[in-house]
Amino acid sequence: MPKVTLENLEKLAADAEAARAGMRADLCVCVGTGCVSAGSVALVDELKRAVKDQGLDGELKVTPTGCNGFCAHGPIAVIQPEGAFYERLKAKDAPTLIQKHFVDSTPLEDHMYRDPETRELVPLEKDIRFFAKQQTIALRNRGIVDPEDIADAIGRGAYRGLRKVLAEDMAPEALIQMLIRSGLRGRGGGGFPTGVKWQSCCAAAVERSETPYVVCNGDEGDPGAFMDRSIVEADPHAVIEGMIIGAVAVGASEGFVYLRKEYPLALERLYKALDQARAWGLLGDSVMGTDFAFDIIVHQGAGAFVCGESTALMASMEGRAGEPRAKYVHSVEYGYRNRPTVLNNVETWAVVGQILDRGPEWFASIGTGDVSESPWGGSSGTKVFSLVGNVNNTGLVEVPMGITLREIVYDIGGGVPDGRAFKAVQTGGPSGGCLPEGSLDLPVDFDTLQKAGSMMGSGGLIVMDDRTCMVDVARYFIEFLLDESCGKCTPCREGLTCLNEILTRITEGKGRDEDLGLLEDLGAVLKDGALCGLGQTAGNPVLSTLHHFRSEYEAHIRDGKCPAGTCKALIKYTIDPETCTGCTLCARVCPTECISGEKKQLHTIAQDECIQCGTCLDACKDDAVLVE
Amino acid sequence: MIQVTIDDKTLEVEAGTSIVDAAKSAGIFIPTLCHTDFLEPEGACRVCSVEIEQNGRFQVVTACNYPIRGELTVKTASERALATRRTVLEMMLARWPQVKVVRDLAKHLGITEPRFAHPQKNEDPHACILCGLCVRTCREGVWQNVLGFEGRGASRRVVMPYDGVAPECVGCGACAFVCPTGAIQMMDDPNHPADAARIRRAGMVVTKEMVLLDDDQCKMRRAGTAHLVEIMNDYDLLPVNNYRFGSSDDAHKISSPHFVKRFTQNIQDGCALGCDMACAKGSDDFEITTGPDKGKRVCVDGPEYETAGGTTNMGIFDPEWCIEMNYYCDHYGVDTISYCTLMAFVMECYEAGVLNKERTGGLELPFGAADAAMEVLHQMARGEGFGLVAGQGVRRMKKMFVADYGADPDFLNDIGMESKGLEYSEYVTKESLAQQGGYGIALKGAQHDEAWLIFMDMVNKQIPSFADKAEALHYFPMWRTWFGLMGLCKLPWNDVEPTDNAETDEPAKVPKHVAGYCDFVAGMTGQEVTPADLIRMSERVYNFQRIFNLKMGFGQREHDRIPYRSAGPVTATEYESRAERYDKQLAEEVDFDPAGKSTDEKCAALRTWREDRYEKLLDAVYERRGWTANGIPTLTTAKALGIDKMDGLVDLLTANGAAQ
Repeated sequence: MPKVTLENLEKLAADAEAARAGMRADLCVCVGTGCVSAGSVALVDELKRAVKDQGLDGELKVTPTGCNGFCAHGPIAVIQPEGAFYERLKAKDAPTLIQKHFVDSTPLEDHMYRDPETRELVPLEKDIRFFAKQQTIALRNRGIVDPEDIADAIGRGAYRGLRKVLAEDMAPEALIQMLIRSGLRGRGGGGFPTGVKWQSCCAAAVERSETPYVVCNGDEGDPGAFMDRSIVEADPHAVIEGMIIGAVAVGASEGFVYLRKEYPLALERLYKALDQARAWGLLGDSVMGTDFAFDIIVHQGAGAFVCGESTALMASMEGRAGEPRAKYVHSVEYGYRNRPTVLNNVETWAVVGQILDRGPEWFASIGTGDVSESPWGGSSGTKVFSLVGNVNNTGLVEVPMGITLREIVYDIGGGVPDGRAFKAVQTGGPSGGCLPEGSLDLPVDFDTLQKAGSMMGSGGLIVMDDRTCMVDVARYFIEFLLDESCGKCTPCREGLTCLNEILTRITEGKGRDEDLGLLEDLGAVLKDGALCGLGQTAGNPVLSTLHHFRSEYEAHIRDGKCPAGTCKALIKYTIDPETCTGCTLCARVCPTECISGEKKQLHTIAQDECIQCGTCLDACKDDAVLVE
Repeated sequence: MIQVTIDDKTLEVEAGTSIVDAAKSAGIFIPTLCHTDFLEPEGACRVCSVEIEQNGRFQVVTACNYPIRGELTVKTASERALATRRTVLEMMLARWPQVKVVRDLAKHLGITEPRFAHPQKNEDPHACILCGLCVRTCREGVWQNVLGFEGRGASRRVVMPYDGVAPECVGCGACAFVCPTGAIQMMDDPNHPADAARIRRAGMVVTKEMVLLDDDQCKMRRAGTAHLVEIMNDYDLLPVNNYRFGSSDDAHKISSPHFVKRFTQNIQDGCALGCDMACAKGSDDFEITTGPDKGKRVCVDGPEYETAGGTTNMGIFDPEWCIEMNYYCDHYGVDTISYCTLMAFVMECYEAGVLNKERTGGLELPFGAADAAMEVLHQMARGEGFGLVAGQGVRRMKKMFVADYGADPDFLNDIGMESKGLEYSEYVTKESLAQQGGYGIALKGAQHDEAWLIFMDMVNKQIPSFADKAEALHYFPMWRTWFGLMGLCKLPWNDVEPTDNAETDEPAKVPKHVAGYCDFVAGMTGQEVTPADLIRMSERVYNFQRIFNLKMGFGQREHDRIPYRSAGPVTATEYESRAERYDKQLAEEVDFDPAGKSTDEKCAALRTWREDRYEKLLDAVYERRGWTANGIPTLTTAKALGIDKMDGLVDLLTANGAAQ
């Protein structure tokens, strides 16, 4: 295999692209975790077989790629360079796809995307509304490169930013200034300017004559979030390149990636990518043939949410229990093994190479505010979100900062399914906040979301419809956080226990008037009194729902009613005599067999046996099941 | 210095000072719960929350672990700080309503009833409140790490590993001592002592000193006895080249940092219940380069000071070699001290021409011949070659070299460092007459475990007269014998001392610790004892041993003789290496003008004087002990001690002129 040097990188890239261009087409099949679980690995095999069977070996290439993003429609194959988009493919569809698209030159309509509004077929990926408003930097190679083939990544420009740094023999301070000028702020949630962080680390390292470390935080743990996992699965070399550049900037010789054990595919691809990077001379004693030495070690996290907190993560890497410490002295000064340490999240590392390659001004031109004076002046670049919940187009999206929540939910996400009404969108993970309809036109950036009582977080976006009880949502997140709290500090451990107790009581119809004031007090004390970020923001789900959906709390407490119809203790399922057709479906699905009625006769629910599971409600085709 | 304003007081503090400490120095009280001076601040309970203002930014922080690094205003009782503190206490009170420390703190903050119920409400007044003091004390103070937190969030609790009773727990009781609620109770001692609590109280004094003082005083836990190398070198007491010299410019090559960086254990040895000294040292993953285990990676127990001091005594200054020698001595069942001292003797004989390559089986053995010295150790173990000679020890070698090679017996007796057949341990005693006696009079031979008086005598000049030295040579051997009688360790007695020890009447005896041992005996047996009682116990045994030695043909004055090398310079080289010191002594104390005299003349004069003083010392010690001038306990002494009833004892003493 070739050793990558400053001189030959461009030629290697050109060779890889030429090889690709020499083919008639490239079938890029998504093998992100979502599509894999829907059978895309078998699809890749069958496509390769079909290509061979048709004798098209020399013309067609089948490339397994990272997450395409449009997970709701997987498994997905995009035919490049034309960009034809096929969805919901099974392995058995492979011969037909090859036959029709390549031999007969007619599109396979059964598997084409159909616009839900116009009902028209959309043949090309770029025309699908889910993709139209996206802008990809961190995910620029998703669905295009083979994450297990470094040559493919180099063909798409990987390590070009690093080459620039090394070839121009950039001084660390100049490199850091570029990061600062780009306005890049940490994608893990805090939004701290990345360049400033590196600068502080450099200063601490020089002052104490210590060799610093760089760390990549891949301990993504928010329910419903899969941004970091998808980036590592799709384009591990982007992360590696970013870390090498960071190491050059601060003078590190060792880097670490902390990635969850629950991400087996991401781990597998990262290990492969690291092996290839070493073999190709991009890591090791002589990076790209220079005298810069750097390598990366992977730490597998055992799955504690709190380990996403930087100091807990470092404690875990050191072999201690993953518990945070006070950050009055930052980890840029005393981090891993008490050395100055730069810790950035996966997405942050993944855009560094691009910033160096295309220039800080290009990055700063995207997004909101003005970062020319200070990175605190705005939010530049793009942000990756995992869009989930009650939204049509669930998936992974990357959008420019400043896009509105409405655009994400409606234009990209395709709105709320089944014609139901939008109620709230939760941003920032469990410790973020729920924003109502009225906040939908807010631009998405670090500072606006914070002002609105939520936060950017690492990029989880959960859409909720009108059947979501906001008290129950708050209770759910508090329960999650209580479960994930390390228990070291009193406010987080006892405060969340008490919050959980109060919220549970309210959802059971046993709330008291004074509870609302108590919830607010406890939330405030968490913010001021808890030790780490997890505890300090743990009150957000309660405080933001109390702020925006107070009447819903009051309905539970004062009227004993759950307006959304989800709190079991407060609801009753009945069958509307007017609309019931006696189809027996509800009685057949009822797990406690408490629905009775003859065929074509009105059915009734025995209330004392009903467990309010809602199965009948979902099953009834005539909307005859009513919730009170 | 940094200016900080706390409430209405402005003061200057050093950068890095915590808010709690700064407030304390200004006389401002901030309540704490999980904080204590001797542990790293944890910031877990949040009871010490205060509000700070820095650069116009307001923030609630914990005072215990917030380091003041820039100008700062602290409000210890602002509305926000109090709200945090109160609600934290409210949460704790909701969970542990009967725990006194929680109730008191809550009351202090004006809370009597929490506003909310706690699903884990625990009415036990001695409930664990998860402050973590025990866990951190065990980890940071005692270094044993047998306590930890198990479970996350609400299910967090303090356990030993696997929720059992860890065999590694030494039972030092420090966790129970620091626990603010009484949640940790000590289990009953299986020995059923008369008063376990009294023993624990005495033990806690030692535990506390070890935790709080060892790092400053002795570093027994971090470096063990290896830390003595540099100290001995500084005081001219480190044996170099068979005790010729007391220091070397090369000593830094084998000083304690070289060993400390290798030590991986620093854990309790587990030999005594309750001891938290962490004296066990190991050099793990050490690669052996010679002998049958060459190439193996092994764990070496040690090295201790004596092994390092023995190494310099051979003129070797290589810590790696020292560890390998330590390993093979342990492996072969050879005492490192005896090996080192006999090899130092062999090397001096080699350099003096008593030995040569022919006589050593081809080995070149001058001082510093590390490889050859290691080969002799292997030969000793295999029972072959020169090992068969060296393995006999210094006393027999002296005889052999005189008989076989016609060596000068006087010279060999002067430099062969043994007494009663036991090789000297590794201290240079030339300038401490009392310690010469400590080695010479010791019952078992030249070992310092009966008395180590060099600092009292030579450095601190606490025992100037013969009577003072004799008193020390009575008290300390008796006292140290007592440890042997009880099966107790000597280290807790005087390695780390109470901070006010110097102000006591007899600092050398460490009176507070002696009182602790009395408490131990009383707590164990139910009988009250005084320090004098303990000495009496030893005197009985010690005198009996001396009489037994007599019966076996030893135990007289002639057996308490020492090689002159331990009392003064044998050779001209030795004299000249410390000429200033010896000349001064001759002029001031011996009444011998050294001016214009040859080294040999000066050596002889000094020798006469020093040998005479040693004889005078023996007289004084024998008298103090109630022995005859020949070093035999008198019948009166035996009677006073109640050991005269043994068969044949009266006859034996009478036959040896001790019937009075």
